[in-house]
Amino acid sequence: MISTIQYVLLGMIVLLCWLGCIGMLRMRNPTQALNYLSFPAGIGAVLLPFAFLCLSGWSIATLKATMIALLLLASNSVVTHATARAIRVRTLGHWEPRDEDDLEYVKENQPE
Amino acid sequence: MNAWLMATCGVGACLVPCAVVCLRGKPEWRLVGFEMSGIIVAILMALYVAGTNRLAFMDLPLSEALLSFGGGLVFARFLEKHL
Repeated sequence: MISTIQYVLLGMIVLLCWLGCIGMLRMRNPTQALNYLSFPAGIGAVLLPFAFLCLSGWSIATLKATMIALLLLASNSVVTHATARAIRVRTLGHWEPRDEDDLEYVKENQPE
Repeated sequence: MNAWLMATCGVGACLVPCAVVCLRGKPEWRLVGFEMSGIIVAILMALYVAGTNRLAFMDLPLSEALLSFGGGLVFARFLEKHL
């Protein structure tokens, strides 16, 4: 039973990594492709400690796999935001929303 | 070959699309490919450690995950300011 769960978890990790990579490859611009980082980092990495739990029980390896998952989960959001910001600054020359930008945004203090 | 090593091969093959994105196109695309490959390599190393039953080497994927975070931030900043 435990080995079946382990195989399913490993298969899902491989599938999520492939889904992220193919999604990244298929997108039209890099900002869209950034969203696909979350498949391996957000879901795939979280499944990793559970697979280690099936392999070795509560061990140091499981603890380190949990730390890897937490690190990838936390760092992915920061890196994605920093990259999206860098791409925007590089493309438009500034970070703040401006009226002349070809992007839709909600203005501050605007009545709904 | 056990299930962990087969999963390692499956995840390792994901590095091919990452390399395709990294090696061609604009710098923005290359940065996205680099960040994806950092995540994939961290998972790949953890799977390989378990597949070869050398659990003492789990420090390597942990340090890879930590360093890919720093590397991604540095390259994003560099892309924003200097490239």
